[in-house]
Amino acid sequence: MSIQKQAYNALEAAVGAKYISDDPAICEGYRSGPAGYENGLGYERVMCTIPGAVVLPKNTEEVQKIVKICNRYKVPYVPYSTGFYGPRSHCHVENELLIDLKRLNSFEIDEKHFYIVVGSGVIYSPIQQEAMNKGAYVIIGGGGAQASAIANLIGDGWSPLSHRIGLPHRRILGTELVLPDGELVKMGSLADGADPFWGDGPGPDLRGILRGFTGLRGCLGIVTKMAIKTLPFQPEPLVPTGIAPNTALALPEKRVKWVNFQMPSKAAQVKAMFEIGKAEIAGAVTKVPLFWRAIAKAECKEEFWEIWGKETAESIKNFFIVRVLLIGFTSEEQMQYDENVLTDIMTELGGIARPTKPSDESWIKNADSAGMWLMCGSYVSVDYIIESLSQATQHGESYAELKRKYTPPLMPDNGDPGWFQSFELGHQGYSEFLVYWDHREDTTGVDHFYLETAKMNIKNRFYTSLLGPHQPLYLTGPMYGPNYHEWLLKVKDAFDPLWVCHPPVPLAHDEFVDRAPWMKEIKDWESPKKLPMPKW
Amino acid sequence: MRKDEMFDTKKTKVALDVTNLSNFVYDMQHCIKCKGCYWVEHTYMPGVNFSVRCPSNLWNDFDSYGAFGKMRIGLAVEEGKLQWTDKLLEIIYADPLCGACDVGCKRNLDLEIGLTLEALRIKAVKDGAGPMPAHKKIAKNIATKHNQFGSPHENRKKWITKDLKVAEKADMVYFVGCSASYVNPEIARATAKVLNASGNKFMLMPDEWCCGNTLYSVGMVDEARELAKRNVAAVKKTGAKTLVTSCAEGYRMWKVDYPKLLNISTSELGFNVVHLIEVADEAIQKGKLKLNKSVDVRFTYHDSCGVSRLSDPWTPWKGERGWMGMVSPALKRRRGTKGLYTQSRNILNAIPGAKFVEMPRIRENAFCCGAGRGVKEAFPDLAKFSANHRLDEVKSVSAEVLVSACPWCKSNFGQAVKENGDSVKVMDIAEIISAAL
Repeated sequence: MSIQKQAYNALEAAVGAKYISDDPAICEGYRSGPAGYENGLGYERVMCTIPGAVVLPKNTEEVQKIVKICNRYKVPYVPYSTGFYGPRSHCHVENELLIDLKRLNSFEIDEKHFYIVVGSGVIYSPIQQEAMNKGAYVIIGGGGAQASAIANLIGDGWSPLSHRIGLPHRRILGTELVLPDGELVKMGSLADGADPFWGDGPGPDLRGILRGFTGLRGCLGIVTKMAIKTLPFQPEPLVPTGIAPNTALALPEKRVKWVNFQMPSKAAQVKAMFEIGKAEIAGAVTKVPLFWRAIAKAECKEEFWEIWGKETAESIKNFFIVRVLLIGFTSEEQMQYDENVLTDIMTELGGIARPTKPSDESWIKNADSAGMWLMCGSYVSVDYIIESLSQATQHGESYAELKRKYTPPLMPDNGDPGWFQSFELGHQGYSEFLVYWDHREDTTGVDHFYLETAKMNIKNRFYTSLLGPHQPLYLTGPMYGPNYHEWLLKVKDAFDPLWVCHPPVPLAHDEFVDRAPWMKEIKDWESPKKLPMPKW
Repeated sequence: MRKDEMFDTKKTKVALDVTNLSNFVYDMQHCIKCKGCYWVEHTYMPGVNFSVRCPSNLWNDFDSYGAFGKMRIGLAVEEGKLQWTDKLLEIIYADPLCGACDVGCKRNLDLEIGLTLEALRIKAVKDGAGPMPAHKKIAKNIATKHNQFGSPHENRKKWITKDLKVAEKADMVYFVGCSASYVNPEIARATAKVLNASGNKFMLMPDEWCCGNTLYSVGMVDEARELAKRNVAAVKKTGAKTLVTSCAEGYRMWKVDYPKLLNISTSELGFNVVHLIEVADEAIQKGKLKLNKSVDVRFTYHDSCGVSRLSDPWTPWKGERGWMGMVSPALKRRRGTKGLYTQSRNILNAIPGAKFVEMPRIRENAFCCGAGRGVKEAFPDLAKFSANHRLDEVKSVSAEVLVSACPWCKSNFGQAVKENGDSVKVMDIAEIISAAL
């Protein structure tokens, strides 16, 4: 496998021989699986392949040249920043070019105007440290400290700290986007050459095309640069302590503190989040799956299962935690005020403060998503939604109910309804449902569960984030549009008439269902006999 | 746990045996590309500069040069889907096996990355593809001259000067190693001086041979095992209770890889293996080694891999893997937590008059000098690149002197400094202790 020789030569001329290769050993290193986010499932086995060649551009101009060459020679390509987002960010068709963006690692920080400008290869944890060095902070999304900030912000970008900072797209202040044909588009205030201070540019706001709710996984161009809002933080240092694997940030307790509360009921748990938001206190408010606590306690996989094995459906059902991060943004007095208000709320609702370490193991600087793989080996967040606080909890519970049918292969979790939390000071509730399995086993049930969640959401009239590239477009589009699928395909055709940019996304999951025999039994929706896209 | 919620997973036999790559299929199958092997641990992430801990993948940006790429490649090799080529050998051997990837992975996933990379080299040799030509030359030197440089064997003890007291018989034997014996005699002399000053009576091996570090590191496991047998027997014959090294690579070899090769635990060697760092630290704590002389420099410390993240003792393990990948009997993972991080800093903070400053990447996150485990000989470009990258970090903290605990680090850094015309002075920890006596 390799790409056409003429195309390869043109690409080599664009980036230099050192930064392109079609050697089999180089290409094998870019295999999506067998493990990783959503890997080890049918989608990865059926839809993914290794690249025909890999190219490493250094800047936006080189990316434009590469994309134009791909259009000229009809070479399909996929943009790739860190490769962490599983099969959907890897090659799907034979003889595809993988554009590895890790060398786009420029970084600027504007201390006075509170923003940073980064390239696609820059990950979160260095950004957070640089921001903190200047008295600011950013949110490290649930994708983890090792996620490319750009990739994460055009797809996800939320964490418990979203309680105060809010939705990720509000923090995108300017974007440089190489369209599928190589043309450069600047969004936000960058569009008219101004500083990146305002995300909405003149004319229609293209951020919807950029990310929608959870992004289009590289099928509508390549973001090469982004200006991201930073926000003022408190001034005391957060000091790294310990030796791996037991490391943490020691917190200056008068300015930063996690507090865990045990609540008497689900209603009290939700009410507490609502009241904390209403009082406009705290930097983060969240409830995480109980087994995350077991991960944190366990020294190894075997110990995790020893700890987790002692839990029962009853113990999970009656465990209601609210985890609150207090931050004295302006002063110790403000921190004290927040804590007093929090105490009042919890006293009224019967919340009992549990002993909490004066440290941060995850979320401020090290969003520890990689720990999700410890207990089983495979993981995917099967949905993440933004609803009201009260509805967000119902979302998780409905998933937990459906999941029972698919356990195993899914990990036994005693009906835990997943992760939910407050967004934007309680104005929204966030729910994320995570599933785990061992990909050495028969994973047909996971493939089915993933798709059945879309049907469940449609049936129950729940919103879902996993539209477009994540589920069959002909299943979700008519139900959420009613012509969302037609709209998205027209956008795709308009921006990428040759479908060179990461084909067959956004019809990849439709094609997977068509190609995987074990998916036929659950296909009960209409779709064209021939999917409306060029065949690669 | 309800049985109906679990698969009845068939158990498979597995062992921490690097001579068979199939033992590590589970590990290769479970890499998730989080790149914990590549980035500095995020809690300690210093910022956009010095954010990477993998020399190989910083030298060559393609994913295949990172451990996450090599796990995928290793699996393809094991499954017979990828043939040995010059490029593949470069990917496998342009790597100092510094252990940064291993401790990074064990932060979250507990995969045996380091052992997998060793097993991959052993397979390369077994398949007749490896090692690299430069390694074969070293192997020949060791076989004929008992040292890796091909120097005359009779010159091994030429470093000894008249002012040093070397006992005929003692409880402690100083294993000098090839580098300090032939290339960096100042380290051997300083080590002997420190041992003398701390009242530690020591002897030398009657006939010291190479430890075989390079042989083991490049996958020549049979040759390395023969040396291990010979050397362990030779130490036992001396009656020494403790073997001390001044070389981080030698320390790792004796403490970890000899037991690995001989299928015994470190505690079953029959004698203790220590580095000078441990001896000096203990002597300072007990007041036996007095550092009185002022050393007026601003210096920093480079954690050599062999005395840090690679030095957890070895215990053989074999058992079964079952549901959710759990293993039995219990496996105590080696996560690099037993490194001599504290001892070395105790010493450095005790040097009178000197200002000790830390670099951004320290301890388990340190960036390897790039010289070890066959890299300097086969891929001098990579060794030079790594040294220069680390020296940039030395300069970022305005250090005048760079201290390490391994002659290979000293040589590599020293050569880079010389070629660059830098003003940084490179010293071994034995030398700076000695300077304070």
